[in-house]
Amino acid sequence: MAGYSVEERAAPHSLEYRLFFKDAAGCYISPFHDIPIYADAGKNVFNMVVEVPRWTNAKMEIATKDPLNPIKQDVKKGKLRYVANVFPHKGYIWNYGAIPQTWEDPGHKDENTGCCGDNDPIDVCEIGSKVCSRGEVIKVKVLGTLALIDEGETDWKIIAINVEDPEAGSYNDISDVRRMKPGYLEATVDWFRRYKVPDGKPENQFAFNGEFKDKDFAVNVIKSTHEHWKALIAKKTDGGEINCTNLTVSNSPFCCSQECAKATVDAAPPCKAANPIPPEVDKWFYYQKN
Amino acid sequence: MRGFPAGAGGAGAARSSAGPAAAGRGGKAAAAAIMRALPGLVRVLAARGWGRAPRRCLGAMSQYGTEQRGRPNSADYRLYFKNADGKYISPFHDIPLFAGSKEDKEIPPKRSRTTGSEVLFNMVVEVPRWTNAKMEIATEEPLNPIKQDIKKGKLRYVANIFPHKGYIWNYGALPQTWEDPNHTDNNTGCCGDNDPIDVCEIGSKIRSSGEIVQVKVLGVLALVDEGETDWKIIAISADDPDAHKIHDIDDVRKYKPGYLESTVDWFRAYKVPDGKPQNHFAFNGEFKNKDFAVEIIKSTHEYWKALLHKKADGGNLKCTNVLVRDSPFCCSEEDARSIVQSAPAHVNGDSVSPEVDSWYFFTK
Repeated sequence: MAGYSVEERAAPHSLEYRLFFKDAAGCYISPFHDIPIYADAGKNVFNMVVEVPRWTNAKMEIATKDPLNPIKQDVKKGKLRYVANVFPHKGYIWNYGAIPQTWEDPGHKDENTGCCGDNDPIDVCEIGSKVCSRGEVIKVKVLGTLALIDEGETDWKIIAINVEDPEAGSYNDISDVRRMKPGYLEATVDWFRRYKVPDGKPENQFAFNGEFKDKDFAVNVIKSTHEHWKALIAKKTDGGEINCTNLTVSNSPFCCSQECAKATVDAAPPCKAANPIPPEVDKWFYYQKN
Repeated sequence: MRGFPAGAGGAGAARSSAGPAAAGRGGKAAAAAIMRALPGLVRVLAARGWGRAPRRCLGAMSQYGTEQRGRPNSADYRLYFKNADGKYISPFHDIPLFAGSKEDKEIPPKRSRTTGSEVLFNMVVEVPRWTNAKMEIATEEPLNPIKQDIKKGKLRYVANIFPHKGYIWNYGALPQTWEDPNHTDNNTGCCGDNDPIDVCEIGSKIRSSGEIVQVKVLGVLALVDEGETDWKIIAISADDPDAHKIHDIDDVRKYKPGYLESTVDWFRAYKVPDGKPQNHFAFNGEFKNKDFAVEIIKSTHEYWKALLHKKADGGNLKCTNVLVRDSPFCCSEEDARSIVQSAPAHVNGDSVSPEVDSWYFFTK
């Protein structure tokens, strides 16, 4: 959607780094709750918040437990998290992010995967040519989905393409991806299967034998996560530590004022130059696929 | 340093396709100092995007430095080289091929205790792993600075051939070597490509353009690129954490499965997006071992010697050098300085066109 912008606080690649969002009027909003799920509902065009640009490694995420849900870098065992380069891949192999106003409810067992939701907005792998920026809000056509089971939790991966991509008109379903970008879907399964192995975790599993489901199926999955989010934001579901502070969801008990939002942002340290990425992030991990 | 526009830059490396100043990490904005506890402390300013002060290359403890001239990501960009004494030198002619040789006034080769009697070569890094800008030693310019190749009037960026992103190794050249175009290679049946011999360095660390790295040679691939002999030496930095395990081409297969196959795949296909045909190889694309590779290197070194002593016809090549005393092309320090000073002053770089980030898929 035209007009969203971001405000950086602290240094990129630091523990304190936060990327806050603003609407076209320059008011602070939550990228989780205040950006509409749909850019064009009739055409299955959704909004996507880009968290990780293609070919980068820093694991940046919408901070679901922080007020206004800025993007921040994930921390594991006290250290900033960088996803490994699993040969032949370099970092993330798509622009990666989330669809706003969706939520994979951990209290709900998905009938397809047999697992509970991972407590996050639904994830998107955007396959267009452009390397997007962290915090960019783009409109995407949904093409299909992969049913990842990541460490035992349901973790759908929506496959989508930026509507601005020069070839977007040729992409209408998952079969178009197979036809026009051969190897990309296989590489996607391979990536999700193995990406945590260098960190000492086992390979991940998938429902449907790692097959991609088509657009209609994907849109239904997204819609059900939207329903879960609606229940969350209306306080009908207990979100646990999820922070539902928002500016625009009028019937939400969590709706707050711009003054309150501003106070949240002002409490964050001022923007600074980025820290360097540690050189070990550049290592390429090799091992045989099973 | 890049600013922070609204819609903040993607983790720095979103512009990792950028050219020389980005060292594969695309404009990271901070400087990192690396201190080493070997004789002579050397500080390195890590690539911070555009507008750096003259750099010292850490490499294999070398004290070679570089000096940027012109604007990064433009046709006038040049990276000139200096030796430990601060003299401008040619990376083609004035850096010894053999690391630690008596011509190489550097500190003795690093890790010689772990490499034992293994021969180490100096490598001039042109293209950092995972970047796209086709940076090359300018063989036809005096003092042979690194510059970006231009084709059909445009700055050249190598395509991203799925699943690869840019170059998949640190890529560069061995100094004091020359693939003589007047000579038909017995193995390939083709003439040399008129350039120093190329190296693919397979270590973990992403190197910077202009860095001098001491490498162990492991093997070689016999590419025939647009009908010219174009050997690709496979090597690893002597100070790579895995260097103690990797001594020959079979070790690369063992410790980095898929890497050699990807290498053949890359060289076969990398010019297809530019409308060129697929490349071919001698030996059916098999890699030859270290001993074979070293022999190839030695023969290109002999061709270079003939070139520098005017016994071979170098055509438009510039053999201007500062340290090859018995070469008729040897010039003075003052001449070298005036060559560099006639290049435009260094300024901040341009941004790179987003089409460099496209990924090419080969459809059936």
